[in-house]
Amino acid sequence: MKLTVDGLLVYFPYDYIYPEQYAYMLELKRALDAKGHGLLEMPSGTGKTISLLSLIVAYMIQNPHHVRKLIYCSRTVPEIEKVLEELKNLFNYYEKSQGEKPNLTGVVLSSRKNLCIHPDVSREREGKLVDGKCHALTASYIRDRHERDSSVPICQFYEGFNREGKESMLPYGVYTMDDMKQYGADRNWCPYFLARFAIIHAEIVVYSYHYLLDPKIAEVVSKELNREAVVVFDEAHNIDNVCIDSLSVKITRRTIDKSSQALQQLEKTVAEIRDEDAARLTMEYEQLVAGLKDAAIQRETDTILGNPILPDEVLNEVVPGNIRNAEHFLSFLKRFIEYVKTRLRIQHVVQESPAGFLKDVSSRVCIERKPLRFCASRLASLMRTLQIPDPSHLSSLVLITHLATLVSTYTKGFTIIIEPFDDKTPNVSNPILHFSCMDSSIAMRPVFARFQTVIITSGTLSPLDMYPKILDFNPVIMSSFTMTLARPCILPMIVSKGSDQVAISSKYETREDVAVIRNYGQLLVEMSACVPDGVVCFFTSYLYLESVVGAWYDQGVVASLQRHKLLFIETQDSAETSFALINYIKACESGRGAVLLSVARGKVSEGVDFEHHLGRAVLMFGIPYVFTQSRILKARLDYLRENFQIRENDFLTFDAMRHAAQCVGRALRGKTDYGIMVFADKRFSRADKRSKLPRWIQEHLRDSLCNLSTEEAVQICKRWLRQMAQPFTREDQLGVSLLTLQQLQSQEQQDKIEKQVIQK
Amino acid sequence: MTTSSEDVLLSVNCVRYKKGDGTLYVMNQRLAWMLEHRDTVAVSHKYADIKTQKISPAGKAKIQLQVVLHDGTCSTFHFVNPGGPEAQAKDRDQVMVLLQNLLPKFKRQIDGELEMKSKLLSLHPTLKHLYEDLVISKVINSEEYWNTPTLKQYTESSNIKQEAGVSGAFLADIQPQTDGCNGLKYNLTQDIIDAIFKTYPAVRKKHIDYVPNKMTEAEFWTKFFQSHYFHRDRIASSSSKDLFGECAKLDDHAIASAMRHTTLDLTVDLNKFIEHVPLLPTEEEASNEKDRSDNNSIHRNMIKRFNQHSIMVLKASQKSNSSNNSNSSSSKTSNNNNKVIENGVKDTNGVSKRPAEHSTEPIEKKKRILEQIHYEDLVADQGNDDVQELKLSKVERYLLGPSYQISQTSVQTSHPPPLSALASVCQAWSSGQQCQRPARVSAGAAVGALGELSPGGALMRHHHAASMN
Repeated sequence: MKLTVDGLLVYFPYDYIYPEQYAYMLELKRALDAKGHGLLEMPSGTGKTISLLSLIVAYMIQNPHHVRKLIYCSRTVPEIEKVLEELKNLFNYYEKSQGEKPNLTGVVLSSRKNLCIHPDVSREREGKLVDGKCHALTASYIRDRHERDSSVPICQFYEGFNREGKESMLPYGVYTMDDMKQYGADRNWCPYFLARFAIIHAEIVVYSYHYLLDPKIAEVVSKELNREAVVVFDEAHNIDNVCIDSLSVKITRRTIDKSSQALQQLEKTVAEIRDEDAARLTMEYEQLVAGLKDAAIQRETDTILGNPILPDEVLNEVVPGNIRNAEHFLSFLKRFIEYVKTRLRIQHVVQESPAGFLKDVSSRVCIERKPLRFCASRLASLMRTLQIPDPSHLSSLVLITHLATLVSTYTKGFTIIIEPFDDKTPNVSNPILHFSCMDSSIAMRPVFARFQTVIITSGTLSPLDMYPKILDFNPVIMSSFTMTLARPCILPMIVSKGSDQVAISSKYETREDVAVIRNYGQLLVEMSACVPDGVVCFFTSYLYLESVVGAWYDQGVVASLQRHKLLFIETQDSAETSFALINYIKACESGRGAVLLSVARGKVSEGVDFEHHLGRAVLMFGIPYVFTQSRILKARLDYLRENFQIRENDFLTFDAMRHAAQCVGRALRGKTDYGIMVFADKRFSRADKRSKLPRWIQEHLRDSLCNLSTEEAVQICKRWLRQMAQPFTREDQLGVSLLTLQQLQSQEQQDKIEKQVIQK
Repeated sequence: MTTSSEDVLLSVNCVRYKKGDGTLYVMNQRLAWMLEHRDTVAVSHKYADIKTQKISPAGKAKIQLQVVLHDGTCSTFHFVNPGGPEAQAKDRDQVMVLLQNLLPKFKRQIDGELEMKSKLLSLHPTLKHLYEDLVISKVINSEEYWNTPTLKQYTESSNIKQEAGVSGAFLADIQPQTDGCNGLKYNLTQDIIDAIFKTYPAVRKKHIDYVPNKMTEAEFWTKFFQSHYFHRDRIASSSSKDLFGECAKLDDHAIASAMRHTTLDLTVDLNKFIEHVPLLPTEEEASNEKDRSDNNSIHRNMIKRFNQHSIMVLKASQKSNSSNNSNSSSSKTSNNNNKVIENGVKDTNGVSKRPAEHSTEPIEKKKRILEQIHYEDLVADQGNDDVQELKLSKVERYLLGPSYQISQTSVQTSHPPPLSALASVCQAWSSGQQCQRPARVSAGAAVGALGELSPGGALMRHHHAASMN
């Protein structure tokens, strides 16, 4: 349908529309008009993506001078593929109603592993190896060598692209990963570099968060993107953690060992070259003296990773004298590695600030701050000079230089924690040095500053006011949408006690209590007896999952569970888990029904959808608080309290509830779907927890559903399931949760929608 | 009255059936029971109808024997010999042993097809009528009759029998009983053994290897129940004594190879979800060391075994399904096909890999994505307007209605269909529910009412409160 959103003609590729989609577009348009940032929460499965795409595309077509580009960032590869298919849908709809496709190009950028079409390189299973092999075939010096000696292998696809690819632009249209590969294969062009080149000009770019948020990659990939762009972060409920991870470094003893090895190898190579081709090293030295830090001739293929620090922190100075010479630099690095190694040799936990660390470095091994800051770029330059064919085995050394550069650049918002052992295994020495970012706004700031509109959206962003605080920005719009429903297709319940009236809770004191574990088991058994097809359970941590499953086996819960459904359990091995998942789906599809035990914050909870029969019920056993004894977390909490006035408890609850909501939200996809959401913990019924659930769940969580025993919950489920099993037609939905164009245009509906938007 | 031609093999007095005492007769054709002082047979079961017999466990106060019929009903006989429990047990065992010998003789395998056909005929008087008119009067032979397209479709569609899968809890259901002197007794039935073999091919292999050459059946199962393989919470012993130590390894291999040969759906391939930062060591690599020093590997091992168990149970039931109904194009079979393709690709291992991957994978993937982004309620279903789906409440009626094919084609010329058949069809119509429909409530209202009446509903709450008072 073609609808008008606040005067803007929007092509919407469906015949019907959900009221909240319209409301969402209204809000979104306000943000675009104001050229400001926005925060929007809309329930999962109400067509967020298509609403976003159709409004922004319409806006771009009609206001080409205000918004020139859409950068759509999503979290996982499947999400990215879905976005592209929806965009394709939209383009097809434009074509159908206008006769021609819009004059826009939509491109995806993904890692080399996903885009490579080279027959040998693409066969590698690990992304790192693909990157390395690709580099070995495309680096500028390899290609120079090929000029002289044609037996040196190069990549024909890159050569093809380099010869012809840059002259023409991609024809208008949407290119998914497979389309890119096909397009590349047809022309003998490398799809990866084609995509890298295409995103500069394409109007719509879809890629993963890292390409914008991680400075190491953003510098290489997203440097030249237009500023007049709308950036969308979809599924952004975890964005602060992505920001933090992109600026944090973790060093283990293994890293040290590997980097020492790599260093030795480098030394050998330098010595060899010194004998054979000393001119090359001298030339690099001269360049560094002259300040041509990143020699201007640098090619796109030569850098895989950029500087780990944000662009505004990069020093535009000449590399300090003591690390200009290759040998000097390597011995400098050696000293630094030795230093880190001694720091790892500890018996108790050490926590210190970057400034303290720097001071210690300088007093113990006489390393100054300034050369440290250049470490990462100096190593990159050296690797180029040495013409390392496959840089993937140097990864640990690269990581060490990142640590050096980061620690000497940032003094505020970071902390260093050295732990001699894992808290769970105090006897096994396993020292880890965490260089941890505590301020998620650091990585986010350049994005907010650079692009005119940044939209942060997800199905679960409640409470909304937390995000502007932790990301440090001022949104012009901030709204949460509920879900209009013609039938109550979600059934959230808080089960607070077992049938024996023992309160159930995963709080530390009671979580190992036999009665609690038994009641959890009983709840699951009874639910799996009355719920058809798939049931998914989330535990607060993997350790807890393990101990509960052990106890359940002893108590016979597992046996009675197996009488009803097949049992699958998430393991820490992701390949194993994937296989279990695919069998879980098979079991649900064949009608056997299955139970999946999984972990909140785990990979399953973050990326897998359990739509329709794959997840008729989700049980959340306990509140998924993050491991509160973690020192990194404590440091971050302190920092948040001091700098953003966020109380520890508020943040912990916020974090736990967004993960709980994320877990239970996995079950619902669309209004024709239905699912039970069981929160099995007494503490969920407290106001501070309940109020932090997304509005669309809260609305259905009536008081009568907040303090149930297992039996009551099962009774309610049975009744509700019978209701849901009745045929559900479009006529039931129309006018309430589904609108035709006429209905949408009626004054009454408009008022209703206007009211529905809950602004904070 | 029993026919005199039957011999009474055994008669037992003092047998109670439904609170009446009487005599149980074991005859050569049937099992019969007569109430005392009566001369009519109250219960009579032909041996062919009897599926199994069951007896009450030793030690129970009541000494009983139950026969289960093929149609699911069962009769229970209670032995009340005044001589006391021992005499009762003796009576019962006599009957039991006799039945044990007799029943298998009558357990003839009725030809499934024949049974189905006769059932079909008995269900549909019109069909029977036609059959009589056409086949018995030698107009066409029986084969021709059943091969007419409509009937063929009918017989074949119901012919596909779905084999019952394996219960997920079959191992857990083998509850040991203590025999009173520090021993455990496991009751194994043929069903359970079948389930074990079906699910754990490795055990079947062991069984073939060892029984009966190296050990007896009983020894084999004793070893099985003693092994860690059965007890999941035990860690595999490295000693070679454990017969089943190898089985666990074999299972691991089987699962691992299945894992390699399964093309993972893009929505579940967790490894490919997140794009890693190039060049830097990945998370797994860094935490490699930590994993090795796991402290509670019992649990971890157990979890692994649970997953394997479920996967194998699923596989066991799927194998039989897909071999049975290869023509049903369910998602299951498409998955299997997928696997085959993948395997084929694996074998060629080289040049042909690329094109194959290119042609099949993206299509599958795209289908899956489109499925995921599809909103069924947002799209108007105009595409389906011209292809109206035929909804039949009663398929037989459609197939066997008056205008049905046999009567028009081969038969009509030579032998007109009997009018009586038509008449009976019409009669069936007019007397069927189609015409006189009792007043009904709508589905929604019915469910609502049911809900209110079930525990926790509005109506029941009131009732509950009242009874509390």
